[in-house]
Amino acid sequence: MSEHVPIYTTLEKESLICARCGYCRNACPVYQTIGWESATPRGKISLARQIFALDNKEKMTDEFVQRVSQCTLCGACAHECATDIDTQRLWIELRQRIATTGKAPKGYDVLRKNLQANKNITTTGNDERLDWAQDLDNADHLKSRIGADVCYFVGCVSSFFPQASEIAVAVSEILTAANINFTTLGGEEWCCGFPLRGCGFVDDGRQFIKHNVQRIKELGIHTIVASCPSCYHVWKKDADEYLDGYELNVFHITEFIALLIQNKQIRLKAMHETITYHDPCDLGRNSGVFQPPRYIIQNIPDVTLVELKHNQMKSLCCGGGGNLQSVDPELTNAISATRTQEIRESGASVIVSACQQCMKILSISVRKAGLPVKVMDICQLVLKQMVR
Amino acid sequence: MNKTTLLSIKEKFGTRASDSLMERELYSRDLAPVPSWLVKLLFNALPEIVVRPASTKEISELMKLAWTEHVPVTPRAGATTVFFNTVPVKGGIVMDLNLIKGIVAVDEEQMTVTVRAATTWGELEEYLNQLNYACKSVPSSAPAATIGGWLCMMGYGPGSLKYGSLMSQVKAIEVVLPNGRVQKYSKEMTPSIDRYAASEGTLGIITEIELEIRALTSMKHFLFHVPDIEHALLAIKNFVGRKTIPYNIHFSDAHYMRTMKDLGMAHWDTKCGCLISVDYEGSVEELSAVEADIDMYMKSDTLLTRLPDAVAEKEWDERFRSIRLKRGGPSVLGGEVWMPIKNLPSYMRDLEQMANRYGVELITYGHVVSPEHTTMMTALFADETSALKYMLDLSLVKKIQDAGYRNGGCPYGVGLWNTPYIRRIYNRAGLKRIRERKRTVDPSDIMNPGKIYQTPFMLNAVHFHISMEILAAVRKVFQKGW
Repeated sequence: MSEHVPIYTTLEKESLICARCGYCRNACPVYQTIGWESATPRGKISLARQIFALDNKEKMTDEFVQRVSQCTLCGACAHECATDIDTQRLWIELRQRIATTGKAPKGYDVLRKNLQANKNITTTGNDERLDWAQDLDNADHLKSRIGADVCYFVGCVSSFFPQASEIAVAVSEILTAANINFTTLGGEEWCCGFPLRGCGFVDDGRQFIKHNVQRIKELGIHTIVASCPSCYHVWKKDADEYLDGYELNVFHITEFIALLIQNKQIRLKAMHETITYHDPCDLGRNSGVFQPPRYIIQNIPDVTLVELKHNQMKSLCCGGGGNLQSVDPELTNAISATRTQEIRESGASVIVSACQQCMKILSISVRKAGLPVKVMDICQLVLKQMVR
Repeated sequence: MNKTTLLSIKEKFGTRASDSLMERELYSRDLAPVPSWLVKLLFNALPEIVVRPASTKEISELMKLAWTEHVPVTPRAGATTVFFNTVPVKGGIVMDLNLIKGIVAVDEEQMTVTVRAATTWGELEEYLNQLNYACKSVPSSAPAATIGGWLCMMGYGPGSLKYGSLMSQVKAIEVVLPNGRVQKYSKEMTPSIDRYAASEGTLGIITEIELEIRALTSMKHFLFHVPDIEHALLAIKNFVGRKTIPYNIHFSDAHYMRTMKDLGMAHWDTKCGCLISVDYEGSVEELSAVEADIDMYMKSDTLLTRLPDAVAEKEWDERFRSIRLKRGGPSVLGGEVWMPIKNLPSYMRDLEQMANRYGVELITYGHVVSPEHTTMMTALFADETSALKYMLDLSLVKKIQDAGYRNGGCPYGVGLWNTPYIRRIYNRAGLKRIRERKRTVDPSDIMNPGKIYQTPFMLNAVHFHISMEILAAVRKVFQKGW
């Protein structure tokens, strides 16, 4: 199948270009769960056309705002769109327009306030960014420093949430074992800006990107590694305008580990398990990273890798993207139940992902479904199987 | 619908029934680029309630209620057409059938699949391909169009040239009749399942279909450039008449080629002449024989240029995405015409004259769907944000249909918007026959009323003809200032 490059002009024009063909319907996890036409991408765009292109402002109802917030920004609709609309950008702009009217969901405002106050998505002060590292034997090198070759961009969730911080610990131990001279931005790491952008506070998000880019420049570091797919996406796609010619190599941790394996800087020991891999939307479909995580899993001797029914470009969202959980946690649960059913059908004993949010959502869902399946982040898997 | 009926539906279906205004408005349109204000002026397209039944039993119960209360019911699934086939014109209930999906069984001995009606062609094909089978033919909107929906239309698209219409592949169907009775029909029964082909949901709701499938085989794609339409006809006739019948033949004119090139969506370099895609399916041996046969034919036709295989394959990959043309819009108006292949050159000349007369570019492409017939889509760019201009442009859709009619064609599909052409689609006897059938099955006219059989007063042939001619004349006068 030919790959199409999504196109975006303006919300008004793209909403008129939408042919309402409905190719997006089957791919949309929200529509597949809710079932109403208003939950389809074409339905939402059709309403946006009425409101913005045809100037029927009275159609901007609370019901419409709710539907716009019921989207995981998984990008499946953009991939299916017959008229090549970059629906990802369209949803963001739509949320941006809604935000300017003051109608944004309360959950978005709470998130924005936290970010403005603490520079991270939690209510914790940003100076506690490195608390996850307190159990490491030596964490001094993690404090922001000049002279490192690599900066590990930890991300808010792995920095502040206990379960997810295991990913940060794993990354740190893997990089140390591979003799990588790395550091972090420590308390100077701000949220990547992705959550703000996803809420429609695009300009606020830009300030966060600008700050992080500035810090990286100050450290003189030219390689950045992110374990969070959304942070990675921002560094890969959105940071360019602030880098202003500064050379920065951006890696997702799976790409980096794959290179370490290739260069024999780390070796993995055997594991007798059947593993399936869940592609995080922002890493796979939205950033094009499909093979490195599979390469890592396939390099574990004796592992059988089985694919989920929907994988790679057609992967299903776990339900945790697009700030959906903050506005409609029940919908998140319902979407993750669909993905969990695919995990059940795969027959795998371990489900691996490469995103702290996917891991969190799938862990809950797998537990609820009573599946005897272990949920792991790929960094945890590598750490467990690494020959020391 | 009275309040008690509405409440009883809401009570029975709970969260699967909605009377929200926002929801109902979304069910009051399809792909047709007709402005909402115009629709509101002419019809009651707003349903009073939308219901999503999950089983044949629920559909039957709802139909029984509608039958008793004389409430109009409009069935809808993919809603991928432009004729308002799935949009109500008399309010009532819209039945969203999208929960009636899934594969029931594959019969490998009989080479058939039984499938629920709202399964999309894309889903069915994906399922069958995993078992090394494939659909015999699919609609050109396969990713979203449903099995039942396409049967309710004329059922021609890629694959029809080799395997015939969808109707010819259907072995049996299950239908919920307007009175709520569930009826199974097979090809051998009287009345036959034929009556449901192209019935557009006016005779009942199809819930399950058994249809023929084929073995999944390899494919070979060819893309040819010819200098003009006369040569295109010659080549098409030749491909259709050769020993191996192609799976699919697609034709596009110079305006299509140029537009796609300008939009950066073309895989070819030329902007003139015509393009003909010819696709074959079969065993490796059969495809090798086709390749040799094509090579031989090429020697006898020096004006036929074969484009690289990679380009031909890309064209095949894009077979369900003709609508990407809309990026040149933002709006696109058009008419789809079912016509004899032999009249293709005169139709295209007719269009060329019309384009010159009205100062508009007309873009044409289509499928050869049988050895004698083609479905041609002729489109023009418009802008629905400019209400007056858009209305004037709408008049050209009739002009396209008129060009088709002059060349032995008629609209492909009726729905609501093509009812003014009903006498072009059916002859007097045919019209009488389908009207009698409708009266027998649905005497109260509750099943998708306002479609196919009668032209609504506001669209009657005289009004329609006069108003469109006036608009076209005005457009002609003002075209220079466009």
